[in-house]
This record gives sequence, C-alpha cells and structure tokens, in this order.
Amino acid sequence: MEKKEQKRHQHKHSGPKAQKKNRKKEQGTEQEQDERKRNPRAFSVQSAVRMAKTFHRAQDIKTKKHHIPLVDRTPLEPPPVVVVVMGPPKVGKSTLIRCLIKNYTRQKLSDICGPVTIVSGKKRRLTLIECNNDINSMIDLAKVADLVLMLIDASFGFEMETFEFLNICQVHGFPRVMGVLTHLDTFKNNKTLSKTKKRLKHRFWTEVYQGAKLFYLSGMVYGEYQTQEVKNLGRFISVMKFRPLVWRTSHPYVVADRMQDLTDPEAIRLNPKCDRTVSLYGYLRGTFLKNKCQVHIPGVGDFSVSDVSFLPDPCPLPEVIKKRALNVKERLLYAPLAGVGGLVYDKDAVYIDMPSGHASRQQEEVRPTTELVQSLIGTQATLDAKMAASKVSLFTGTAALTPEEVQENEKQNPMESREWDENAQRERRRAVFADEDEKDDDEEEESDEAEEEEEEEEDEDEEGLTTLKKVDEKADETAAPPVKKQKIKEPMEMPAFADSDDELEKSEGEESEEEEEVAEEEEEDSNDEEELGGLFKVSRPERSKKVRADAMDCSRFQPDSSHDWDQEEMLASIRDCFVTGKWEEDKDAATLLKENDELYGDFEDLQTGEVHKAKTGNKDKAEEGNDDEIKGDGGDDDDEEEEAPQVKLDDDEVQKNKRLEKKRRLKERFDAQYDDGDATYFDDLKEEMQKQAELNRQEFEDVDDEVRVQYEGFRPGMYVRVEIPALPCEFVTNFDPHYPIVLGGLGPSEGNVGYLQMRLKKHRWHSRILKTRDPLILSLGWRRFQTIPLYYIEDHNGRHRLLKYTPEHMHCGATIWGPITPQGTGFLAVQTVGGIKANFRIAATGVVLDLDKSVTIVKKLKLIGYPYKIFKNTCFIQGMFNTVLEVAKFEGASIRTVSGIKGQIKKALRTPLGAFRATFEDRLLMSDIVFLRSWYPVLVPQLYNPVTSLLMPVGQKDTWAGMRTLGHLKHDLGIRNKPNQDSLYKPVVRQVRHFNTLHIPKELQKALPFKNKPKQMQAKGKTPRDLQRPAVVREPHEKKVAALLDALSSVYAYKNKKAKAEQHAKHKEFLKQKEKQDAERQKRLKEERKKTYRAMGQKEKKKLKSSLKGASKDN
Amino acid sequence: VASLCFRQRLVLSTLSRKREKILNIRSKDDNPGLRDFEASFVRLLDKVTNGTRIEINQTGTVLFYQPGLLYGGSVEHECNVQRSIGYYLEALLMLAPFGKTLLRAVLKGVTNDPTDPSVDLLKVTAIPLMKKFGIDGAGLEIKVLKRGMTPAGGGEVLFTCPVRRSMKPVQLTEPGKIKRIRGTAISLQMANRIVDSARSILNKFIPDIYIYTDHMKGASSGKSAGFGLTLVAETVNGTFLGAEVMSTPQGQGDPVLPEDFGRNCAKLLLEEVYRVSITKHTFVSGVDRYVIEFLRHIRDFFQIMFKIEQQKPGEDEQKGGEKVLMTCVGAGYSNISKTIK
Repeated sequence: MEKKEQKRHQHKHSGPKAQKKNRKKEQGTEQEQDERKRNPRAFSVQSAVRMAKTFHRAQDIKTKKHHIPLVDRTPLEPPPVVVVVMGPPKVGKSTLIRCLIKNYTRQKLSDICGPVTIVSGKKRRLTLIECNNDINSMIDLAKVADLVLMLIDASFGFEMETFEFLNICQVHGFPRVMGVLTHLDTFKNNKTLSKTKKRLKHRFWTEVYQGAKLFYLSGMVYGEYQTQEVKNLGRFISVMKFRPLVWRTSHPYVVADRMQDLTDPEAIRLNPKCDRTVSLYGYLRGTFLKNKCQVHIPGVGDFSVSDVSFLPDPCPLPEVIKKRALNVKERLLYAPLAGVGGLVYDKDAVYIDMPSGHASRQQEEVRPTTELVQSLIGTQATLDAKMAASKVSLFTGTAALTPEEVQENEKQNPMESREWDENAQRERRRAVFADEDEKDDDEEEESDEAEEEEEEEEDEDEEGLTTLKKVDEKADETAAPPVKKQKIKEPMEMPAFADSDDELEKSEGEESEEEEEVAEEEEEDSNDEEELGGLFKVSRPERSKKVRADAMDCSRFQPDSSHDWDQEEMLASIRDCFVTGKWEEDKDAATLLKENDELYGDFEDLQTGEVHKAKTGNKDKAEEGNDDEIKGDGGDDDDEEEEAPQVKLDDDEVQKNKRLEKKRRLKERFDAQYDDGDATYFDDLKEEMQKQAELNRQEFEDVDDEVRVQYEGFRPGMYVRVEIPALPCEFVTNFDPHYPIVLGGLGPSEGNVGYLQMRLKKHRWHSRILKTRDPLILSLGWRRFQTIPLYYIEDHNGRHRLLKYTPEHMHCGATIWGPITPQGTGFLAVQTVGGIKANFRIAATGVVLDLDKSVTIVKKLKLIGYPYKIFKNTCFIQGMFNTVLEVAKFEGASIRTVSGIKGQIKKALRTPLGAFRATFEDRLLMSDIVFLRSWYPVLVPQLYNPVTSLLMPVGQKDTWAGMRTLGHLKHDLGIRNKPNQDSLYKPVVRQVRHFNTLHIPKELQKALPFKNKPKQMQAKGKTPRDLQRPAVVREPHEKKVAALLDALSSVYAYKNKKAKAEQHAKHKEFLKQKEKQDAERQKRLKEERKKTYRAMGQKEKKKLKSSLKGASKDN
Repeated sequence: VASLCFRQRLVLSTLSRKREKILNIRSKDDNPGLRDFEASFVRLLDKVTNGTRIEINQTGTVLFYQPGLLYGGSVEHECNVQRSIGYYLEALLMLAPFGKTLLRAVLKGVTNDPTDPSVDLLKVTAIPLMKKFGIDGAGLEIKVLKRGMTPAGGGEVLFTCPVRRSMKPVQLTEPGKIKRIRGTAISLQMANRIVDSARSILNKFIPDIYIYTDHMKGASSGKSAGFGLTLVAETVNGTFLGAEVMSTPQGQGDPVLPEDFGRNCAKLLLEEVYRVSITKHTFVSGVDRYVIEFLRHIRDFFQIMFKIEQQKPGEDEQKGGEKVLMTCVGAGYSNISKTIK
C-alpha cells in the first residue's frame, strides 16, 4: 500500500478568518483572567444552602483563631521566665540544666537543687527548675511553669511520666512545651534513628499541637551535650513568647528560691516542735500581691502572710541596654538553694556581692562562690566559735540558717542520683504519717482556739491604748502605714475576722479626738500631707456636729452651711460647670473650629494667604463677643491666645505641645474615618483592652516604689521576701530544696471552704472507673487536697441524681467539700500521690461549675407496700409507712405497681399503723407489689484534707498517704464482702415437667373440620416379613466371576501406579537436565554481556579522554 | 465602729466572705443593742444569701456575722419604718450584681424620708453609675410601686438587678458640663409651687430644666402625707449629680413653705455641683466622714488603698470647690456565685 501524501494545514495569516481568530485569541487571554465573566453560570449560586454552609464554615475557621483579648498586665520588668525541665529518671535533666547554665553564664553548677535564676539575655531572665518524678512536684511545677522542656529518652520512647505531665499541664492552663529528645547516640543505625525521631515527633504533636518544637540532642561530649545544640536550644528559649494564662494573671505567686527560719532559737530549744516563722524569698509573678494577704503553699497549707517586703533584685537585668551581647559581669547566676549567690541580700542590708570570676574555676569542684559560704561549709563543726571570732559575726542573724541548709544539702543525695525504687517505696509508705497528721491537726485546732481568745483580749486592750498607739504610729512613719487592726486567719480552722470596736460608746470629747486621729491617719495614708490636710482642715469645725448626725449610718452628705447660695459670687463660682459656661481650651467649640481651619487651611495659605488671615481675625472677634457674656478675667486669656500665633518664637514648648496635640487629634480622626470601616466587635474589644493596659501602666508610674507598693500591692517582677508565721516545724526540719516551694496567693474569698459542683470525666487512660464516696486527691487552683466526691448526673428535669460510679466515657457531675475556687477553674484528680500504683495516675479531670453552701444531690428511694384489701379500684395498702404522720406527708403522691398500674395515695387509715387508702386506674391483685418512687437528699461528706507532702521526712516526700478508699481498707484489713446468696452459682436442678394430654370432647371432635380433628397417630409398627428386602446369595459361578474381576482390577491398578512412578522419575530427570542447560546458557550470556559492556566502557573512556585532551589543548 | 459603719462592714464582709464580729454595739447606751432597722437589715442580708450564720447575743450588743453565698432570687422584705428604703437599697445595690441569680427584691416601707437618700435619688444617680461599671441590661431597674412617707410608710419599691461575672474598670475623671436638669416633685397640691421656686434659681444657669410631678393616688400613695423634691443634673459625660429635700413628718420640725422648700433643694443641687468630686470606685461622691470610713473599711477587707490626688482648680475656671481624684487598683474581685453552664 502506498501512503498518500497529505497536504499540511495552512494557517491563514491574513483575511477575515485570520482576523477573527486573532481577535478571539486576544479576547481569550483576557477572558481567561476573569472566568467569572466568561462563564457566569458556573459561578452562580447553585444551592443557597451550600453557599450558606461554605460561608458559615469560613466564618467558623476565622473566628476560631480569635482568643478573648486579655488586659496586658505584664510589668515593664517581667519576672524571670520559669523553665521547668521535666522527664523520667535518668534521661538527662540535670545535665541539660547544667549545659544551659554553662551556655548562658559560662559557669558550672554540679548540684542542681532548687530554682536557678540566670540572666539569659538583654531583656530576659530564666529560672530553671528541675522536676523530679514525684507527682506532687509535677503538679506544683505545672502550675507555675512558663516553659516546659520535656526530656524524652529516645532510646526507650515515651514514658508515662511524660503523658501524665502533659495532662497536668492541660488542666492547669497549658504552658509552652518544648520536647527534647536525648540518648540519640544509642542508635547505631541511621535509618532506625530517623524513623524513631519521626515516630516520636508525631506522637508528641498529637499530644501538644501540630508542629510543636521538638529538639534533638545527639550524643554527649565529656558528659555534656554538644555545645552547638545547647546553644540552639538556648536561642529558642530566649525568643519564646508566652500567652498569659487566666489563673496566673489573676493570682500572685512566688516560686521560692530561698528559705530562712526566723524563729527565736530559744523557742526552738525549749520546744523543738514549736511553730516556725519562716521568710521565703523569690520573684513575684502573676499579679499584684497585697500585703497581709493569704497564701497557699502547696504541700503545706494555707497561711496568712505577716509581712511582705521587696528587696533589691539579686539577679538584675543589665541596666543599660546596649547593642552588643552581655558581658561576663552581666551574666548573673542566682541559686541560693544550690549555694550560689545565696547570702547576698536581706531586708535591710546587702552583705557580700558575688565575685564575677566563676569561669576560671575548676570544673569538678563545685563550691559556693563566695568565700564566706566556703568558709562556713569548711568549718561546720566549729561554726559558732568561728562566727564569734571572725569579722563575719555581724551576720549572725542571717547566716544562722544558711550553713544549716548547706549542711542538709550535703547530707542528702541529690535527687537525680537516687534511683527510683518501687519496692523500697512501697515498704516505706506506712500509715505512721497519717497518725502524725492527725496529731498536728489537733494541735493546730487547740492553738487556734487559744489565739482566738487572745485576740479578743487584744481588742479590749486596744481601746485603752488608743492614745499610745497614736504615738507609735507617728513614730514610725517610715514603716508601713497604720493598717486598721485586722487579723486574717487560716480560714479552714479559723474564721478570718475583720474586727471592729465601737467608737460610739465613747464620750463626746473622745470622739472629737478620734476625729482628729482619723484626719491624721488619712494624712499619713496619702503621701502628700499638706494638700490633703488643707482639704480636711477647712471643714473641721463642723465635723463634730456632723459626726453626731452621721452616727446614724446615713450616706447622705450633710451640706456645708458656709456656702450661701443666695449670693451672686457663689453662683458665679460654679458657672463653668454648666454647658452654658466657658469650656476648656481644647474642647471649646470656637477653638476647635479654628483648629479645623488651621488644619485644612494649609491649602488656602498657599494661594490666598490674606483671606485666611482675615478669617481668623473674624473668629477671634467672635470669640471676644462670647467672652463678654462671661464676665471677669477670662478675657485676658483669650487675648493671649490671639497673640500667640504672632509671637510663635516666644514659647516653643507650648507650640510644640500644641502641634503634637493637633497631630494626635488628626491621627485619631483619620483612624476613626478609615479604620472603623472594617472594625469588628473583636477589634473594638482589643483596643479597649489596650487602652486599659496603657492606663494601668501609667497611673502609678511616677510614684516611688515604697508608696506604690501600698497602693497597688507588690507588682510582679519584684524580688520579695514573704514572712510567714506559724508554719509547722516539719517544713523547716524536713526541708528539701529539690522540692519546689510555691507561694500561691489567694483571692478575697478563696480561703473559705464550701461545696463545689464540678463537671468531671474519668480520664480515658485511667483503667478503672471511680466510685462515689471514695477519697480522691484533687489538684484545684494552687491546692492539692484529699476530698470525698459524690458523683451525680443531671436528669432532664434538672434533678441531680447520685451515681454509684463515674460513667465510663461520659462527663458527670461531682460535688465536693473543698476550697472555694472561681468557676471555670480546671482540676485533676489522682487516687494516691504515694508511689506508683496505677499505670496512669491521673484518674479524672474536670472543671468547677458552681459554688454553693448547700447540696442538691438526691438518690432514688423506693418504698414498697402490699395491698391487704382490694375493692374495685381502691385498695388498702400496708407496709410502706410506719406512722400516720409519714403517710400524711405523702398524701397525693403517685404510686405504681410492678405490673404498671398507676395510682395515688389518698388518706391514712387508723389501723394498722402506716396503712393507707389508695386508688388505682385498674383493679389490683393481692399478689401485686405497690411502690412509691421518691428522692432522698444525700449529704456530701465534709472532708477537706490538704496534702502535706512537703512536711514528710526527706526522701519520703512522695509517700504521703491520706485517707484510704473503702476497697483499700478492706484489702488491708482482709475483710471480704459477704456475697448475696442469690448471686452464688449453684448446680442447676431442672424438674421434669408433666403436661396432661389434650382432651377434646367427642362431640366437639365430631364438629371440627377434618383439618383440625385430632389425628390418632400411632407409632409405626415393624415392616412385615413379606415386605422386607431379601439378602443376595451368589452362585458358585458368579462367585468365581466376581473374584476374577477383582483380581484383574487390582492388577490394572498396580500397573497404573507403576507407570505413573516411572513417568514421574523421568520428568524429574528431564527437569534436572533442563536446569543444567539453562544455567550453562545463563553463564554464557553473562559472559557475553560482560564482554560487550567492557567494550562499551572502554569506548566511553576513550571518548572522555579524548575530549579532555581536546579541552586541555584548548587551554 | 458599731452602728455608724454597721451597714458598710456587713456589706463588705458579705462581698469578701470574711467573718465579721461587731462588739459593743451601743453597749453603754440607755437603749443598748441593735436597733430595729439594723435587725431588719441583717434579716434582709440573710434573705439574699445562702448559708449565712448570724449570732446576736441576748442584749444585742454583739453581732457575729458569717457570710454565706450571695444568692439573689426573688426576695420580699418588710423594711423597718425607722429608716427609709434607701438605707436598705444602698446595700442591695452593692451586693446584687454578685449574686447567683437575678435579684428581684420587693422592699416595703418608707420610700422617702429626710435622713436617707430616697429611692428616687438612687434611681436617677445609682443606676446610671452601675451601668458605667458594666452592669446593664434589661433587668436593672428601680421602680416605685407605691409611695410611703415617713412615719407610717406603706411604700413599695421593686429593685431588679442582673448578675455579672466581673465589673469593668471605669474612669470617671472628667465630670463634664451639666447639660440638663431633671427632677421629680412628690406632692399633690404644692407640686407646682415647689417646681417654680426651684426653677427660679436653676434657670440662671441652664434653660434645659424639666421637673416632673409625681402624684400617686389612693393606696399607692402610702399611709402618711408628705412632699419632697428630687433634682438631678446630667452632664455631657453621663455623670449624674443629685440632690433632694424631703418634708419632715407631720407635727415634727418647723413647717416649711413649699417655695422655700423648692429653693432649698435647688441650692442643695448647686452645692453638690460645687463639690462634685471624682471618684473611681464608689458612687458616694464627695469626701465626707462617711466616705472616709468606707474607704477605711475597703482597706480592711480588700487591702485596697486609694490614691487621693487633689486637683487644683484653674485660676480662671469657675467650677466650684477643690476636687479630689481618687485612684485605686481593683481587688480582682469576680462574682463567684454565678453558675456557669
């Protein structure tokens, strides 16, 4: 076949067709850009519902990004960021802290105990805390951490501690979490390493958030992590941003980094178990701390602060911010519990500064830097003598404790070296401590009572001593201002009394004295005495009269009779308070108008300057005209205003301010015009918050710190010393710096106890459901405490029905007797804090919903009765109640039988007692059981037992055991429940049932159709002989034939089998042969191929060589 | 300070949940112990709270008060006629926003008397102020259902207030210019005379004056006769200044001409304008002894100190007396009774 030459298509380059095509092409490109125009139907609304849905979804996604704006209360100089280093044992926590410290400060610290504060940058300080694996510390630290470095042993994978800690964090407001993988050098294989990394990363992401930062620390160099990696980690830490958490921004807290026992040594000598007065030091965080407020120390209890004072910052940020990095002197390190920089500051004096030459010291020797501390450690035994002899005797007061501390530190093994030993802990956790606790409680109560009495006595004394007190107050003006006598007690056992004594009963003379005192006090309160004094002095003569009237407790202001409102002058003096009066310069309509003109007059000035000037002149005249109406000296001022533009050079300052002001107003106007277009509610809210924050910051900015502290309390970022009286002695004697001490400030009413309703959900990883009335340890607010929750569920009618157990996968309500905590606060529950029993310790989580003084939980109660007399629909029922009165209470109540007949209680019967008449919707049977469904209120047990883990002996702090659960108790005491007899398994005995034959009368049988007639079916009898099949008996000949056929067939079968075997063997042989041949062929082929490839390679090489040669020649 | 600050201390104690013990209440008086109206006040507190414990000794000279949880709800209270409803209402105004549920209180007793701020005054001054603190909405109102004058009473006031979780910070630093004056005259026959005389003084300052006459007839006018005038001045910044005068009960005190009466009231308003001070936290304006006491109590209960600055009036400004600017940092108080769902 011959292919026919086809003519190629010729594009038209000219002519109408080409033009058309060109036009189309041009338009096409344009239209492609705007497809909506080209094909509007594709973009028209197909379905309104879907459109609404997509819009809704878009909005949802948009609004999800919004957070409720919070007032920014971060102080100008923020407190150090709390970095908690957390991880299972032996994962490298201490090593990491050491490396970080070395990275930031070039110093080495071998024993990390207590918080370590360092200056990490020009604007940031860090407080590094190591978190051990005691759940108590984990909970406490999760509440104060700003950033958590979560160490994970990559060679092992995630451990439960990590997850537990993450869950704790989630409940108490999520701090920033950064994962750090260690032990990466144990992986020999690169592929498994990267695989593990990926796996761990994704698991971590699901737990924290997608894209959470995970750091890899690969390998150690001389027992430390690689410098570059640590440096990178440090960089990440120092640029991290934090979102304020609700609980922390509304509560002040201090992570104590120093503790000092202030108790009188004599008192300790007399009674070593006396209550201690302790001062705790640390940076204040959160919000403002008011003096004399209540604090909770997790692990110890609630205490009222006797005194707070602020100290100079022991670890200050560099004063002048320069562009370069910090120098060695500015890289400070402060860790008094670890013995570094500890003795530096006290309330009223600075003792020794830290020498800066840490870097040059030897590595392994970790000694406190200051000579003083070194000497103290070196000479523990003869301390007193030394102290007496040396120059340092000045410091006896303060130094007394620190050597003790240091001594203690040396005695204890550091936490990280102590292996966590299950057996040992279990053995150690005995009930001994519970006894001790009880004793403590008793003691406390006693002492409280005593205090109460004392206090009352004091009150009476006080009245007599008013004059004396006055003198005192005057004497120490430098001290805190005289706060009106008031004692806040520990609210759990003691009421917080706000005492008051009567002034009314005093004679009048005294009263007037009192008056003066009030005035004077007031003067002292406010710093500017003269000004205020003036204000009060004016009306003092009238005071005494007024007081008598005011004794009626009336808020109405008694008018000052010195003003005579009939006089014109008086009337004139308030003229400006009305809109008709004169306005301030910046608000006056005339000036505003003028300013407007100035603003927009620029344009006019360029072209017709004269016109503009004339205008202003006119305006001023108009103003003067206005002023004439308002008589007096206002006119002068306006004249000045008129002159001001002419003598501009005279007061540059004023002009500058004016201009700035104008600029600001212009900008505001501009903003209002152009920003408000798309300003949403959210934006407005944000702006409002911003303004408030600005105002908060400015209000007290220029006031001296000493005074400022009294107005607004101690502000976060200050280094404060908090003095707490009446701490249990165990706090001091069993002090372990490895356990964090947190002082959590309490709100005004958070020191009280009451009923809390909360929403609770069993944690999905906790293996068992929780039982009502089993004690549970809750971490709520700052506190950790044991309490007895009752679980309930809300019915549709709002009834709270008691549950015996928490639902498996559902939320339920829980009511506890516990500390009043604001609604919306999250909590978590654990069953024990001692040892590790469950594989996942967090039993439940939830949130506080409501606070109340009464509970509304009910449980179902079924009262059962039996009818003893039945009329038509009425019957008499007995056994439900015992007295007539009981019946009377339930008159009209609806009752029901088991079979479902509803009824109502009508009236009690006289006899038998407790019987009543009831009517039902149908006739009852005597065998019916009648029951009444009622609801019985349940009381919540009032157990509130703070976990006092910090008071446990050193090394046993994680063995606190409170009240045991019922199951626990039964297990311990070997009590077993007697099972219900009915629930026991017994051999099943089935009785044979007899059924009588159905008897149909003969008459009936006759009448029935055949189908229904009973068929007389009889058993089938034996088949008769004649019907049975006979057996076959062969003839001799037949037998022979059969035998022959048998033999032949077996011969045939044998032959067949033999032939098959032969065939099989042959085939096998054949296959073998073939394989051999194949192998040979392959070999040959391979060789051939090899040859060809070699030839090709050589050819290639030659080519390359020649080309190279050519190139070199060119060069 | 027993009776003088009885109310303040109990209110603050309820808000701060601190127990309170008041000793020596008129212990050296001829008539010792709590007065009836104070007892009635304590009873009212008991009604709006849940779980309050009150112990009073036999002579009534010692009161122990352990506050419960503020509850709100529907409350009906028979106020003692010794003091007017304003006495009770002032306390409720402070407590109501922090209850668990909306408060709906019906207070019965004396609506107007010469000693306490009357219901009308509170209605026109306190309600706008509360709105500034962010307590607004349909629920907030004071309504005079029946009027009742001094000795016998018989008045009825409905006070409803919604609950809020927290209050907004406010800056009332600029009183603003007064733009209008409104008022209510309570009387049957003499209303016009009172109004005219009051206007004669105020008209010198501002023309925008309107004084309503409020006359209730029959049962809703209460059991005793009396008359009074309440004036309120509104500024451009939404601040309200009030003043009022009430007649003394029949047969007591000097009889007053209605004209004088009106004039007195107007003068009182001017006085109020004169000394209007700027407070940030209390609606009691002006610094008198009562306020000083109140501030001291606030310090006792909440550890809040006010920064008091004096504002010197400008030389050329005619704005009345010296003014005081008070500033404080809030206690971070939030309503912990309110249920969240």
